[in-house]
Amino acid sequence: MTHPTRAPARAQTPQVRSAITERLAEIVGERHVLSRASELLVYNSDGLPGYRKQPRLAVFPGTREETVAAVRLLADEGLPFVPRGAGTGLSGGALADDIVVIGLHRLKKIISLDVENRRATVEPGVVNLRLNKHVAPHGLLYAPDPSSEAACTIGGNVAENAGGPHCLKYGVTLNHVLAITVVLPSGEVVKLGSKVGERDGYDLRGAFVGSEGCFGLALDITVKLMPKPQTVRTLLADFTSVDQAAHVTSAIIASGIVPAALEFMDGATIRVVEDSIYAAGYPRDAEAILLIELDGLEAGVSADLGAVRQICLDGGARNVRVARDDAERMKLWQGRKKAFGAMGRMAPHLIVQDAVIPRTRLPEILATIRAISEKYGVLVCNVFHAGDGNLHPNIPYSADDPAESERVHKAMTEIMQACIDAGGSITGEHGVGLDKMGYMESIFSESSLNAMCELRAVFDPERRSNPGKVVPIHACKEWNAVSSGRLRRDASSWTDESEPRPLEAEPSHPSAE
Amino acid sequence: MSTEAVVSAIKDSAKTRSPLRITGRSTWLDAGRPVRANNTLSLRDDSGVVSYVPGDLTLTVRAGTPLSEIERVTREHDQWLPLDPYGSNEGTIGATIATASAGPLASGFGLPRDLLLGLEFVNGRGDVVRGGGKVVKNVAGFDLSRLLTGSWGTLGVITEVTLRLYARPKADRTILVRLKGSAKESTAFLRAFLGAPLNPYSVELLSASASKALGLGSSKVCLIRFGGNAAAVDAQLRAVSSVAKPEEVDATVWGMLRNLESGAEGVIRISGSPASFREVAATMLSDEYPWISEYINPMRGILRLVLRATDDAAASEESVLGIDPAGEPDEHIIFEKLPAEAWQEIPGAVSDSLSQGIKRAYDPHNILNPGILGD
Repeated sequence: MTHPTRAPARAQTPQVRSAITERLAEIVGERHVLSRASELLVYNSDGLPGYRKQPRLAVFPGTREETVAAVRLLADEGLPFVPRGAGTGLSGGALADDIVVIGLHRLKKIISLDVENRRATVEPGVVNLRLNKHVAPHGLLYAPDPSSEAACTIGGNVAENAGGPHCLKYGVTLNHVLAITVVLPSGEVVKLGSKVGERDGYDLRGAFVGSEGCFGLALDITVKLMPKPQTVRTLLADFTSVDQAAHVTSAIIASGIVPAALEFMDGATIRVVEDSIYAAGYPRDAEAILLIELDGLEAGVSADLGAVRQICLDGGARNVRVARDDAERMKLWQGRKKAFGAMGRMAPHLIVQDAVIPRTRLPEILATIRAISEKYGVLVCNVFHAGDGNLHPNIPYSADDPAESERVHKAMTEIMQACIDAGGSITGEHGVGLDKMGYMESIFSESSLNAMCELRAVFDPERRSNPGKVVPIHACKEWNAVSSGRLRRDASSWTDESEPRPLEAEPSHPSAE
Repeated sequence: MSTEAVVSAIKDSAKTRSPLRITGRSTWLDAGRPVRANNTLSLRDDSGVVSYVPGDLTLTVRAGTPLSEIERVTREHDQWLPLDPYGSNEGTIGATIATASAGPLASGFGLPRDLLLGLEFVNGRGDVVRGGGKVVKNVAGFDLSRLLTGSWGTLGVITEVTLRLYARPKADRTILVRLKGSAKESTAFLRAFLGAPLNPYSVELLSASASKALGLGSSKVCLIRFGGNAAAVDAQLRAVSSVAKPEEVDATVWGMLRNLESGAEGVIRISGSPASFREVAATMLSDEYPWISEYINPMRGILRLVLRATDDAAASEESVLGIDPAGEPDEHIIFEKLPAEAWQEIPGAVSDSLSQGIKRAYDPHNILNPGILGD
């Protein structure tokens, strides 16, 4: 049941909304359209709770046909929308500011599994870990493993080009997607890439992966699977200084050994995790630990294990412990994968960064981060994919304290600038979304941003799919020169503010709402 | 040559609407469809290392840098770019990325798109654009570097690329298994080999004609390359020895295989599911036409057909045109090189509306390599 008249408080045209609600309900069924403010509260943030935007409506198609019909209806009406998977993203990318959310979590069929050719085709709402459980009995795995793997969806992973600890050796989502069937914002269905082999022509599948919902919605995704490695060994090395662990990380990478994963946690993070239900048995008095995983053929892994252990000891490790069995390995990983969650114990809000730096700069940047945190009196918890140079300096804080928020924001901006100055990137795996849009002009020129706008305009000429994300609107020359008349006329009651205000008005960090 | 020089050449051409043929060192000019352009923009002189920090395992070079130069520079630090496109190492990295050309090492290290971290290009209006970055992991902005990879110069002229490097393996050994017996025996070997827990860098099945051309004897062969630490490589060689009688050969055989395609009349790549190729490999590599060398990559699911000039013109023509350009429903046929007149029969690679839209946006005057991917 929907109750249009009780729906959100913002100024609107009830007739339009009501008509749309009814027509969407005809497509997906009454119970799969939400329009009450109270029901929509769940959809007003993603994994980054500092941002909140209330959607106007949420629609949850149950089949590919329903999805296409819903997108076509919105296209006919000129209405913007935001595709959403599990809402675990960390960039504010899945937020819908008074527009329609299309939730894809009901599209959760594993359509086919081709064991011999090592590939699977899934609907976008299939949860990452479920795919892995499905293929495991055949000795296969799907490599990208974001820490949210138990909840996040393959469709969301494609939108964000998700990574994870094991991407160090096996690559990110981009390297594992063969083909995608996409419904464009116009309602047209296109096939990108190829399920059976390699194609010539432009790599449109490559362009779609990581497009953060701005190019349309995936209806199905064909991914590569890998044989499970014969042997997996996990080491825990602990250090009495952050600097030692940073130097050891650089030394392992420089040695040429490619670990399956090489993760870093600093003392603050270790103690938060050990105080939580995810306690993994990390040494509480350590100032840093490295969690290193090696996999492959038994003979090769044993040789690398010895070499890595020696690099750790030479670099000042107090202890190097090798997990004896799978249970111990899992426990060591649990602490790492749930570290963000454990930080929820420290403060009501958490600012999460995702910068990437050249790996040789790690010791220097970690020292800079420490200096910045001392300067502003904030606690930075570093837990990150060290092998890739993909930092996650996180700051737990209370957004209800304006003075603290101000200090946290300033510290984070300085940290980000230090990473950019080191030749790095503003995001390694979380995406730009809303959160990092303010930094896009620090790393891309005007003409590069314009080229991105032009690419998006080919997929979504009316810019109705996830509007106001990734590239700041004022960077798009063409769009500023020619306004989209049709969109404004037909959808004025919905979209007056759907594109962001000038960038200065956008928060570049999660702020109090 | 510099990015500025490319910008000014493109702006001049845009003004006069005179199309440009974009080239690297012109080692592979006969690939692709005929280009409709009177002027050439060569990146040959825009060469050299921009930045290389061995500890980061990343390398930024100008687009005109030959692969041989990258090999030389990285070898000094015991590193390499594991990218060995067919042809030779005298071609440029820019052309390799622009054409998405890969070779035998793609089985172990992926395609050019997997080794590329970022690039700079100049679009058809003369704007300098950067996609990606210089670090090994990066999702900032839409992925322009993947878009340019394999675009054959039609969306922009690549001027600089940043690549992921690897440490050279401690051990790097190549073996050959002769497939002399019946098709059944060959198939049994392939099943046993490909089903075993091995991580070869490269695997190529060569037809008897290809094997002869390389001086490897007169039977079909399977060439296999293993790399890594010595323990891992030894264990894999032992595993192969338990199902076949491998002979060790010099690694230069890979360069010879890649060179087979230089000067070929035609090169056709058929891509399909790896399993289907394994099933038919043994019979497909029979020696029916001695002027055709064939090799199959059973891991990627790729069959390459290399056609040489022959006196038997009728037979040669039949063998090329006998291939239906549309292919079977479960495979793709990619024509890399063909005699100019044969191209008319082949549908374009970028005729869909999204590709056409991107082309119009990035090269509005259609001055960059017009025609090379079809219209």
